Amino acid sequence: MENTSDALCGRWKLFGLTAGLSAILLVFSLAFGLQAADEDAKSAVPAGLGKVSHPKDNLPTAEKISLGKQLYWDKRLSKDNTIACVSCHDPKKGWSNGEQFATGVDGQKGGRNSPTVLNTAYGQFQFWDGREPSLEAQAKGPIQNPIEMAITEKAVVEKLNKIEGYKQQFQKVFKTDVTFDNMAKAIAAYERTVLAGNSPFDRYKAGDKKALSEAAERGRYVFFNKALCSACHAGPNFTDNGFHNVGIGMDKKEYDVGRFAVQKLGGNRGAFKTPTLRDIGRSAPYMHDGSLKTLEEVVEHYVGGGIDNPFLSEDIFPLKLTAEEKKDLVTFLKEGLKSGDYPMHEAPKLPE
Amino acid sequence: MRPNRPTLMLCALTLFAGLFVCDSAIAQNEGEEAAAVTAKVLVTNLLNPSGLAIQEGTGHVFIANRHGVYRYLPAEKDRTKRIAIEIHTPGNDVYGKGPKYDVGPLGVAFIDGENLVVGDGSRKDGAEFVRVYKVGTESPAEAAKEDSAVHTLGPITMKEGVTAKGEGNFYGVAVGGGAIFVTCNGDDTKGWVSKSMITDGKPGELLPTIATKEATSVDAPVAITFSPDGKDLVVGQMGEMTVPGDSLLTIYDPATGKLKKSYKTGLSDIAGLAYSPKTGKLYATDFSWADTAKGGLFELTIDGDEVKATLVLKLDKPTAVAFDKDGNLFVTEFGSAAEGGTKNPGSLSIIKAGL
Repeated sequence: MENTSDALCGRWKLFGLTAGLSAILLVFSLAFGLQAADEDAKSAVPAGLGKVSHPKDNLPTAEKISLGKQLYWDKRLSKDNTIACVSCHDPKKGWSNGEQFATGVDGQKGGRNSPTVLNTAYGQFQFWDGREPSLEAQAKGPIQNPIEMAITEKAVVEKLNKIEGYKQQFQKVFKTDVTFDNMAKAIAAYERTVLAGNSPFDRYKAGDKKALSEAAERGRYVFFNKALCSACHAGPNFTDNGFHNVGIGMDKKEYDVGRFAVQKLGGNRGAFKTPTLRDIGRSAPYMHDGSLKTLEEVVEHYVGGGIDNPFLSEDIFPLKLTAEEKKDLVTFLKEGLKSGDYPMHEAPKLPE
Repeated sequence: MRPNRPTLMLCALTLFAGLFVCDSAIAQNEGEEAAAVTAKVLVTNLLNPSGLAIQEGTGHVFIANRHGVYRYLPAEKDRTKRIAIEIHTPGNDVYGKGPKYDVGPLGVAFIDGENLVVGDGSRKDGAEFVRVYKVGTESPAEAAKEDSAVHTLGPITMKEGVTAKGEGNFYGVAVGGGAIFVTCNGDDTKGWVSKSMITDGKPGELLPTIATKEATSVDAPVAITFSPDGKDLVVGQMGEMTVPGDSLLTIYDPATGKLKKSYKTGLSDIAGLAYSPKTGKLYATDFSWADTAKGGLFELTIDGDEVKATLVLKLDKPTAVAFDKDGNLFVTEFGSAAEGGTKNPGSLSIIKAGL
């Protein structure tokens, strides 16, 4: 927890009032079902973040989010019951998985680092190359990918329909048996609750000038000025949602073309989506190929100007940062962007 | 980038003999209003035209493109005299990572009937200028040289806390409230609009003034104009070229630089903005980098906190727009080169009064 003593003090003062209101709300909740929980699901956004938009055909409810969480954690969504979404996108590892390349069924490895699920609710594009426009579409990908969960749409639907607990929940939430589309919708609804905000930076920005340590404050200044990080890592989610070639992996003869595979513009060669930096200290290793183990290495990469290539972003060039500035920058990334109420979800009980 | 000898020869040909004056209609919008709006091509063989200004009194149209600034005389009966090079700028820079476009001067606007402001895009960020040229009411016998400006502003070099790489790509120019405003497209951490106060007819230092990125989290201010009452500075912020639908229409107080309003437009890359002097309606061009088939001229209607963008006419990589006093709309397009073609694809077109 990153709460300041002032905030804690304020919370205690409010406790009595909050407890009383909570009791009243609980009575209403019991009396009128889960309406209040549904509203919470729609509105629980940490400080510093914008409103989460939900697709009109996939509005969240508490039951749907709960179902999505079970599916997210359930290894039965893979061919051999060994891999779940959480295997590669683990809350304990920044909602990534700590390896350069995650391991799928039969010990297979992919070629890209697992992107975090944190704040994907705000993403205009999903996957490193942005090939899917929504979390609903994204959720279907890894399940069917032969080197990830490697199960067909038909097989997973049949498997889940044999689990009575799932059948009942799908009936309650969607008024259908398990379907592939609704499975994806439930997972996406859950993922939209995985939010990272309320960091020291957010409190600093809101006016608490002591929220950042001195080193983090110096690092913040470097981030938004001399190091040019905010050219791409901008806005509440620290991403411009765009695609940039930042000079990673471009020395390989057959480099990963990234966004170019989706959109055939020359400038997209070797370009990948700008990731969020929220809770970035938790999700090592870094970059689309997981080639940099620490944030210190990431900063050194950018200071060096990346691997020169014809498609290199014009905002990537050698920087003149002092050793202290580099250190401060890393401090800002690690401390300044660390969530005050990080979504450290625990595994749910899975249906039988 | 240093042009080779054949390129120079081609440039010279283009400059002095290669522009074509046309009379054919090129496009019309689709759907219900298909017959309502058409554009007529006036000039072809332009190379990446991006700025337009109409001279008060003469109605002459000044066009910024790769090789300099051209003057187009709409009423000139002799077609061979209808367009001529006014200011020759030899420099060249490349805009974009692919597609890549050679660019020279980018934005133009008049201070008065004879002082033309030209925003430079032909050099690297931190080395470009905003220049003011004195232009007459007729085409000059010889093109003015780039350094013949009566006032030269900038460059905006690297400065601690202001710009970490230097500003540049002075894309849009607007004059009002006793000042020159220039959109800058170099430093993506700030997205500056720079300002030069005019005192006794003389423009002062060009200073980064409005950090549009810090105000809105979206960078690349490009299009710029004043509201019809002159009270608001109206800016089109392009955002990321690779991201569709992220362009903003933003309103700033020209005196304080304070953001008054920011609207999501749903457009991808607003490159030009202009108010109709006849109807007061606001029009924008969308270059639409990621999907140029979606580019065109749009009417922007502000309703409370929302902006509705309505397609008026599909265009091929449209850039600048400017109305003359009679309500005729001029628009430039980068266009697309014909396969095997030797001519530059850029053009100037007119949409007759009615918008």
